[in-house]
Amino acid sequence: MNMMLRTKLDPNKRSLLNRIHCDGPLLLGLLVLMAVGLVTIYSAGGQDWQLIDRQLVRLGLAMGVMLVVAQIPTLAYQKLSIYFYVVGVAMLVAVIIFGDIGKGAQRWLDLGVLRFQPSEIMKLAVPMVVAWYISQFNLPPKLRHILIGFILVGIPTLLIAQQPDLGTSLLIASSGVFALFLAGMSWRFIGAIALSVSVFSPIMWHFLMKDYQKQRVLTFLNPESDPLGSGYHIIQSQIAIGSGGAEGKGWLQGTQSQLEFLPERHTDFIFAVFSEEFGFWGVVGLLAIYTFIVIRGMIIANRAQDAFSKILAGSITLTFFVYVFVNMGMVSGILPVVGVPLPLVSYGGTSMVTLLAGFGMLMAIATQKRLLSR
Amino acid sequence: MSRINTNKQRNNQAKQNVAPTALHWRYLLVVCVIMLVFVGLSARAVYIQVIDPDLLIQQGDNRTLRTQNMPVHRGLITDRNGQKLAVSVPVRAIWADPKTIVENGSLNDKRRWQALADVLGQDYEKLISRVKNPKKRFVYIQRQVSPAMADYVDQLSINGVYLRDESRRYYPTGEVSAQLIGFTNVDDQGIEGIEKLYNAWLKGTPGSRKIRRDGKGRQVEILEQKAGEEPKDIQLTIDQRIQAFAYKELKKAVQYYKATSASAVVVDVQTGEILAMVNNPSYNPNNRSGVSGHRIRNRAITDAFEPGSSIKPIAVLSALEFGSVEMDTVIDTSPGWMRVGGSMVRDSRNYGKLDLTGIIRKSSNMGTSKLALSVPKQFLIDQYYNMGLMSDTGSNLIGESSGIFHERSRWSEFELSTLSFGYGLSVTTAQIARMYSILGSGGIKRPLSMIKSDQKVPEERVLSKHIAQEVLSMMESVVNKGGSGTKARVPGYRVAGKTGTSRKAVAGGYGEEYVSIFAGVAPVSDPQLAVVVLINEPRGDVYYAGDTAAPVFSKIMSNSLQMLNVPPDDKTVSSLASITRTPNAG
Repeated sequence: MNMMLRTKLDPNKRSLLNRIHCDGPLLLGLLVLMAVGLVTIYSAGGQDWQLIDRQLVRLGLAMGVMLVVAQIPTLAYQKLSIYFYVVGVAMLVAVIIFGDIGKGAQRWLDLGVLRFQPSEIMKLAVPMVVAWYISQFNLPPKLRHILIGFILVGIPTLLIAQQPDLGTSLLIASSGVFALFLAGMSWRFIGAIALSVSVFSPIMWHFLMKDYQKQRVLTFLNPESDPLGSGYHIIQSQIAIGSGGAEGKGWLQGTQSQLEFLPERHTDFIFAVFSEEFGFWGVVGLLAIYTFIVIRGMIIANRAQDAFSKILAGSITLTFFVYVFVNMGMVSGILPVVGVPLPLVSYGGTSMVTLLAGFGMLMAIATQKRLLSR
Repeated sequence: MSRINTNKQRNNQAKQNVAPTALHWRYLLVVCVIMLVFVGLSARAVYIQVIDPDLLIQQGDNRTLRTQNMPVHRGLITDRNGQKLAVSVPVRAIWADPKTIVENGSLNDKRRWQALADVLGQDYEKLISRVKNPKKRFVYIQRQVSPAMADYVDQLSINGVYLRDESRRYYPTGEVSAQLIGFTNVDDQGIEGIEKLYNAWLKGTPGSRKIRRDGKGRQVEILEQKAGEEPKDIQLTIDQRIQAFAYKELKKAVQYYKATSASAVVVDVQTGEILAMVNNPSYNPNNRSGVSGHRIRNRAITDAFEPGSSIKPIAVLSALEFGSVEMDTVIDTSPGWMRVGGSMVRDSRNYGKLDLTGIIRKSSNMGTSKLALSVPKQFLIDQYYNMGLMSDTGSNLIGESSGIFHERSRWSEFELSTLSFGYGLSVTTAQIARMYSILGSGGIKRPLSMIKSDQKVPEERVLSKHIAQEVLSMMESVVNKGGSGTKARVPGYRVAGKTGTSRKAVAGGYGEEYVSIFAGVAPVSDPQLAVVVLINEPRGDVYYAGDTAAPVFSKIMSNSLQMLNVPPDDKTVSSLASITRTPNAG
């Protein structure tokens, strides 16, 4: 909050950041997070500078995307969202027909030059299209509009779920549902959803989930049942976190992570490495950074002047938060293992570009609004 | 601040279709939920890392910390001349990793398994059933396999069957020194005798290091390294030549006299070193299958007997040391019996008047009783202690008994009398050997030792030198004409000794079994060796010590003196004549 006030009071900084449509506090939070990520990847990846190089390239690319996205007027997003969405759904269908298979799931679309996951587009397209659709009507939305919103969310969710990529489909579903919630969906309807989810989950269990996904849920409920097989991830990561203790073992000193007991240690399970080496106080610090970013995102959402921006900003922020929660929850053993990276800290891929594109939209909302309102 | 904003929104952008207040609350709620979730994550971290980390830390260490022992070969045990009594030979152990076996499907290659079973002499079906459980990671198939056999198994190259170095103990002297040396178990740990007593020394402390390993089992760092101690060899005071001869004689004696067992101890009186300690029956330490416990026991130190007449010299030397008698004092032992405190002390016949030499030679209970009663009680008891009878011999051997002796504040005169002729206390063969080596050394008490060492042993004079010599020359009469132990004579040497034939105590009194002992020192002019031969429960026609233990003593003493090149000191014609007639063992 202080930082925010200072940027307001400092005319030079404000003008510079404003000129490139950057929200200072948010940028600061993201940069700190990335730095933490690089430090941890260096340790988790066996002190391999190549990993750091690649991650730096990726971060740079993603930051570039973020800055570009931040320059585009929110109005443009509002108008383009439906096309964005339609293209995304079309690509999801294309994946089913032409997609590459990797690790038992059909997620990739090969466009000759680059391979990418269309589901990443939907992470942004779904909240955008819901915000666009809902904001056309008076708020709070009527039941009819909410239902149509749910259909908009449901189509890509199901398409992704059958790839199968349960983690992403849940994230996308939640981003859409957050948008509907922030739009003012009635509490009665929320109750109805809760009910339907509890009905839907057994159906999902029996018809949609693959055996390996069921296995993950079962081992989450009782990791010791299969300590060498599916429970291995959970047990090893908890041991890593717990053995860090309050103070941590120190950077590059974590035994579980350095000695390759911990699987996926520089990607999905990087939080375990971080916890082992930096201990409880490190975890509290990391959580503080995430909290700062999320709160800043919610402030931006709250300050947004039109419903589309408000809903979109809130939804993006909440999705980011869900990422953090799902990853940390999974690594610390309170949620089942789903392949969700720790945002901006984990090593890797397309999800980072999507994330920072989302933050670009947040920055567009934060800065352009102010320009308008001046 | 936010409120101002929303108001602005309402005013400036009335066309916007936002219901600000409701949404505002909704956003606040979301922020609160987010905070709660983060607090929840922190709480989880508190739980895992701060409240309950010990188990997880330990689990972490379980996965990474390993203690490795460097393989070592156990040290040698040799006799005083360097002859090997226990050696370690390298062998291999064959083990299997059933998980690998099952995963690689090695069981399908039945021919190789059949060949493995054949070479090891194991049943094929049993062998397979031991290695087919994929949950196991380590099963010994056979241990201590000879290198040749191990090579064959290696060439079979069955996936999941491996070899490991280990060592096997081999005892070249077999049953001769079996009880003394003891043996090791399959893991190379000494579990009996010298092997057990000096296990740490022989084994060294294998260098161990605490390492951290990674998920693939590779060593990452050495956390702690203990250099350990090299395994060391042990040189015993035993002279294997004497040991072997003594064993051979004992074995013959046990068979000839139909005895339950026999023990012999040979001690160097000048140093207290044990030159031989043998027992029969014995066992083959290289193949212990089916050996019963009584054969493994080192009877010379574990089994205590009432020594009978063999400790009669103590009564004589007590009286001399105290001064209640002189060398030429004559004791009247007639009428061959007397009543002491309501019980009878008797000789086998009426010996009449006897000097001290006569009392020893005739082994007169009357005489020793009178001598014992002529000194204060405590003084008498002290002499038994001084002669090493009530304490361990100092050899430190495992299982050593210090005999049975009931220390009491009030001694009846009868009890003191029985003590003087060797009843009412139990002693081991080794203790008698020590007592005789004290006599032989001129009254100097040393611990018996088993390990060759340059260290000076503690010495203590417990007896005047001239008294020790005088008692020895009295005991010389035992083996001379008219004595009870003439068969103990050693041609060419002057021998001082004493027989002891005691009845074995059974429940409620004394039974019909005997223990025959002959203990002696030679050469009398310059004592070198003390030898004790004990024959337990001879069941043949003869059982008197003079007929059973004494001849064995003679052979062992004779052979030992010759082995050690001790110059003969008996220049009498008859003795010299017998030397020329006896074929020389050396």
